[in-house]
Amino acid sequence: MSSLSTPSPVTPPLSADSAGATAGRVMLRRFLRNRVAVAGVVVLALFVLFCLLGPVLYPTDQTRTDLTSANLPPSAEHWLGTDAVGFDQLGRLMEGGRLSLLIGFAAGALATVIGTLWGAIAGYAGGWVDAVMMRIVDAGIAIPALFILLVIAAISRPDALGLIIILGLVSWLVPARLLRAETLTLKNRDYILTLRAIGGSHSRSIVHHILPNSISTIIVSVTFQIADAILLVAYVSYLGLGVQSPATDWGGMLSQGLTATYSGRWWLILPPGLSIILVVCAFNAIGDGLRDASEIRGRR
Amino acid sequence: MKRPRPVQRRGRLSAVLAATAAMTVLAGCASGSDPSAQQEEDSTIDYALPAGVVPNWILPISTPGHTNSNVYSIVNVMWEPLISYNGSSGKIEQDTKASIAEDVAFSADGTAVTITMKDRTWSDGEPLTTRDVEFWFNLVKNNKEQWARYRAGAMPDNVTSFTVVDDKTFTMTFDRAYNQDWLLSNNQLNEIAPIPYHAWAKTGDDEEVDPAANLDRTEEGAKAIFSYLIEEATDVSGYADNPLWDVTSGPYDMTDYTTNGQISFTKNEAYDGEDAASITTVNLLPFTSVDAEENAVRSGSVDYGYISSSSLDQESAFTDMGYTVEPWQGWSVTYMPYNFNNPEMGAVFSQLYVRQAIQHSIDQENITEVVWNGAATEGYGPIPSGTESDFISDQQKENPYPYDTEAAQTLLTDHGWTIGSDGIAVCEDAGSGETQCGEGIAAGTKLEMTVVSQTGSTVTDNMMTTIQSSLAEAGIGFSITSAPADQVLAQTPKCEPTAAECSWDLSFFGTAGSWYYPSFPSGDQLFSTTGGANFGSYSDARTDELITASRFASDNAAIQEYSAKLAEELPVIWLPSPDYQVSVINSDLKGVTQDPVARFHPQRWSW
Repeated sequence: MSSLSTPSPVTPPLSADSAGATAGRVMLRRFLRNRVAVAGVVVLALFVLFCLLGPVLYPTDQTRTDLTSANLPPSAEHWLGTDAVGFDQLGRLMEGGRLSLLIGFAAGALATVIGTLWGAIAGYAGGWVDAVMMRIVDAGIAIPALFILLVIAAISRPDALGLIIILGLVSWLVPARLLRAETLTLKNRDYILTLRAIGGSHSRSIVHHILPNSISTIIVSVTFQIADAILLVAYVSYLGLGVQSPATDWGGMLSQGLTATYSGRWWLILPPGLSIILVVCAFNAIGDGLRDASEIRGRR
Repeated sequence: MKRPRPVQRRGRLSAVLAATAAMTVLAGCASGSDPSAQQEEDSTIDYALPAGVVPNWILPISTPGHTNSNVYSIVNVMWEPLISYNGSSGKIEQDTKASIAEDVAFSADGTAVTITMKDRTWSDGEPLTTRDVEFWFNLVKNNKEQWARYRAGAMPDNVTSFTVVDDKTFTMTFDRAYNQDWLLSNNQLNEIAPIPYHAWAKTGDDEEVDPAANLDRTEEGAKAIFSYLIEEATDVSGYADNPLWDVTSGPYDMTDYTTNGQISFTKNEAYDGEDAASITTVNLLPFTSVDAEENAVRSGSVDYGYISSSSLDQESAFTDMGYTVEPWQGWSVTYMPYNFNNPEMGAVFSQLYVRQAIQHSIDQENITEVVWNGAATEGYGPIPSGTESDFISDQQKENPYPYDTEAAQTLLTDHGWTIGSDGIAVCEDAGSGETQCGEGIAAGTKLEMTVVSQTGSTVTDNMMTTIQSSLAEAGIGFSITSAPADQVLAQTPKCEPTAAECSWDLSFFGTAGSWYYPSFPSGDQLFSTTGGANFGSYSDARTDELITASRFASDNAAIQEYSAKLAEELPVIWLPSPDYQVSVINSDLKGVTQDPVARFHPQRWSW
């Protein structure tokens, strides 16, 4: 009679949570060492605070025009002057920033969600499903987003929700390609094959394993998508497809201000223009920082 | 002849941060540096056509799609009209200098007009006679459905006979007496332009004209000739070379035409009328956008151009370059039609007090001065107010509903509406009593409406935002959606209440003026029940009577009453009417007058 041998004591494995926490801490440390990325976070945080808390500290009426106060230069009463219908320009910058950031975040997130699911399914399924899905992506990328936006502008002018949906629908193609590539490398890993061997479903493979393991790619992608979406919002507003007055966004403000280019009313052009540049640069810096921080080869 | 021309000044860029790139450059740089003058030894003028306008017609009988006022100007400098109208003096009146008619005499009963023509010749030396007028009339009479100005019952339907008295005199008899102003200027007699019978009465390029054949006096012959002329006029690439168009009666001949719209006119040396040209060559320059044209002005490559109204506050920049800045008022009205057939809001719009409240909420004075930068004229009724006329009523001149949002709100609260927590009026007291909301308006109805507004203009956007704000003060909700002008017209058609496309509330397509009248501002297209441009389906029996009466009355009392009635009854929201354009004109150019009916007269310009 043989007795079962007692398993030799081993060091307990790290729990998934603690492993994740460790990886997260490493990633955070690496991110914090990237000064440009940290500067991006600071800039973005300042803009978010400016747009959300600014109206509390500097309240202005952004619904009623005041033609008697139109086109005033910066003064103690109006720190950044007023626009062509008498709206306080600093208050307008907060109002426009709120909408630009909201649309940018939402459209970037929507594009990432669609692209992530599309790419993951295509990469995981492989074969003709992958071929068909990715040819659709290729065809979509071949059509410039601006062209599609111009066509839409010629038909109608959507509201903020419509803009989010439109921008999301023209921006998901690149994340789809990224996630497909990521999925192709992950789907043949042992833990996925094991899951399949013990009867795990495809959806479980994708939702519980492939997507979580692609999270760094997704996070990096979403930051760039948001930056792109903010730029696209500016583009479409500049083209006259932006949100309808009295709402505004930075692109719309810039478009309105450009009529005053030769009038020397810099306060109508520089603030929204610089805001777009700074926020987009901030998102790009954050995206770069996250990408570097999540790069396995760079880890110590 | 020396021609000073504004020249481009070298740009001076401010120092800018590299990171802010183009935007900073745009904001920080000022146009201009040291002005200098460039002299040219020629007698040429470069005139900027309105953005997007490509002249596409040459025959003095317009067909649908070829009615742009610039096309008329171009045609009229080559073929002088029988009776010309001009508002450059500040009042729309006959321009005898540019007319072939020398004398116009109505019969005592007003049913006939006898016209005596000046002693004129065509550019090929042939005499210009009543046969040339009859030729025009025969072509129009037998091809009226293809004539852009045709309306049933008007010219040529209302002409019962065309009688030639002699080579220079003819009589037209009408089916009844008409208002003489209407007859002369409402796309009736003023549309007639003698055309060369001896050169054009044929049906093919290789055919010789047989003057004795009188082909145009038969329906079949007139149709064949018209068909041939239309075919030739459609061939725009042949405008400068086609020998047909060489026989002219106007002060200029076309010597160059490119299909992108650039046209050159050369002085007609054979012209023997009273309106001879001074400048030898006139170049009409096409532009795809106002910005592109304004850049051309800033570069000094245009002698007579235009700028956007928002650039008016930089007037000194243009005057420093040697230009004179002069707004060009149009013979137009601008408005937002209500859709009276809207199944939900139609009943609300039908209430006069609602329309009065809305009109009280339009701050025309500030919109004109601030939003349009002064390049617009306040308008309170159906008659253009920027140009003096005998048609406008005192009621319209005096603005029956001055800006007063408190009065607007009082009108609503006095008629059963209360202002809700969101600031928008709600009908509380439904019913048709004097202090109730009115017939067809259900309790709980909110006074909020949406305008489909024209895109592409910052000024229009600003005007809509201003209107939205002032309406909100009165308790009226006003949302804005926008689309290109052609889409606005497509989305806001005249409709029946049951039609799917009848859900629109308000429409705006007046960034450059909603409606340009011919010399006589008849309302038959806009506000008669059957009017083709009565988009909002406004219908009022008395208005119809007045419109009809204005056509037939011997004086202008009917049209003045019409003006007063519509200023008070508000079939639309009256708005400031923007100028036709803000012109920038080389200060050395003389003889420039700006005709409110949007015609230009280059023969009167000189250096």
